[in-house]
Amino acid sequence: MADSTTQQMFDLWKRQLDESTQAWARLMTETSASPPPDAGAFWRPIVDQGLQTWARVAAQAPMTPDVMTQWKQLMDQAIEAWSRALGQVMGTDAFAQVLGRTLDQFLVTGGPLKKAADQSMEAALQALNLPSRGQVTDVAKQIIGLEERVDGVEDALGAIMRRLNDISRTLAGQPERAGASEESR
Amino acid sequence: MGQERFADIVERFTQGYYGDRDGGGAEFTRQWQEELDRQRRRFANLARMVTSPPEPKTGQTPRQEVYRKNKSRLYRYESRRTHAIPLLFVPNLGISRPYIFDLLPRSSFIEHMTNAGFDFYLLDWGVFGPEDNDLTVEDCVTRILPRMASKVLETSGASQLSMLGYCMGAPISAAFLAAYPEVPVKNFVNMAGPIDFSKVGLFGLWLDKKYFDVHRFVDTLGTVPADMVKAGFKLLRPTMDISTGLNLWWNLWNDAYLEGFNALNKWANEYVAFPGEFFRQWVADFYQDNKLFRGELRFGGRPVRLGAISCSLFVVGAQEDYIAPPECVRALMDVVSSREKEYIELPGGHISLIAGRGASTHCWPRVSGWLAPRS
Repeated sequence: MADSTTQQMFDLWKRQLDESTQAWARLMTETSASPPPDAGAFWRPIVDQGLQTWARVAAQAPMTPDVMTQWKQLMDQAIEAWSRALGQVMGTDAFAQVLGRTLDQFLVTGGPLKKAADQSMEAALQALNLPSRGQVTDVAKQIIGLEERVDGVEDALGAIMRRLNDISRTLAGQPERAGASEESR
Repeated sequence: MGQERFADIVERFTQGYYGDRDGGGAEFTRQWQEELDRQRRRFANLARMVTSPPEPKTGQTPRQEVYRKNKSRLYRYESRRTHAIPLLFVPNLGISRPYIFDLLPRSSFIEHMTNAGFDFYLLDWGVFGPEDNDLTVEDCVTRILPRMASKVLETSGASQLSMLGYCMGAPISAAFLAAYPEVPVKNFVNMAGPIDFSKVGLFGLWLDKKYFDVHRFVDTLGTVPADMVKAGFKLLRPTMDISTGLNLWWNLWNDAYLEGFNALNKWANEYVAFPGEFFRQWVADFYQDNKLFRGELRFGGRPVRLGAISCSLFVVGAQEDYIAPPECVRALMDVVSSREKEYIELPGGHISLIAGRGASTHCWPRVSGWLAPRS
């Protein structure tokens, strides 16, 4: 009995979230001016339904620790429903556009700030006769380049060694073959 | 009305507690005692977590560093080595650290593979700094991977090797196999690696050229900071932290759960930055232009055509993978020229292929089971 009531409550939650998702998606994609959504109207049915169903469940049977499991299930389903709802909104072109614009704004404002901060820091370090981050990075890059060259030399040596081994194997095989051909004659 | 309802609940609760006289009352009391005991343990564990945060011991499978190149390391793990062909595991570059593959004893992919007798090599790309900003995907394919493959062959003494790419490691490995068909790779496993980037889901949409200017992004930031990478992944699943918190509270009484949680949580919050040029090429060529799938890449002067891959192929997709949806992973099956190829789709998400109880029962045995007779 309690299970079916809980299921009803889940169904109501799901329906409510599906409707609200559609409403949010419409809101995101609408280009014309529309009245702002009534946040109270959005939440009220959810809260009321939840409270009523909870009260009904509690009134029907003695409260055992199972009620905690039911609460956990309710929360899991609610989070999952929210995740799906947000996923639908985030999967729209409108959301991608807003995200792109926000990032652009961040780069437009943050870029010059970062450059100015880097320049002033470099000047300060130079005045203190200390190496700047850029100089340390340059040294590290040179070491990486050096390592790359050593790897190249190692590769070339490896190739030469393999070639020498091949030649020595060929040379070692030649007298045997020569001997064998003498015998066959 | 709210107060009235609450009073009803309290009344019903007390009736239930005292009302049953045929033995059910004792059972009822026991159930509540258990629940209260769990609560007590939850609070005790919470206090312990807050006052002395645990440092999980990850990556415990014995290993040896056999080669290093700049930040990258090649590790060889100890095993019985009953299979002749060594396995080179190529994980993602940037984003996260590879100890997720060897998280804890008895919940480690690497431990599973070494117990199965594989001569297991892990390529750890490393944590890159601003000095590595010039590193590109092309460098990884033409300068790092060939060397790692030859070191695997050299140290194992084998004439062939198998490659296993996970996540971003799979398309990088696939590009390597396509550009260097002469490298003796006998088997290739793609685990949750995106191939057809036109089907890559939310990241594909957000990184679309129309909305995301990767050149301005890299030119401004240089290195793509770890916090930025973190923000991108958090945005992909905004309810994940709430869900994680709820599950933590629910299982906080369970010490075994807590040990696994601490290790996984440490990994999940340790993000790694991308080298700038790597990110530029990764987004522009792979996400935006889908050049790998279209066969339009040229690395080191060599054409990168997936049709050149002819080794045995095993592709594993995850049904609820929102980072690499199964359809973009499966796409590799249609473009390779391998005669022997198999695709499986497992329940769960991107991470549940390589970590967690589900992975050890559903995924790892399938991978080792496919590789074993071919190694």
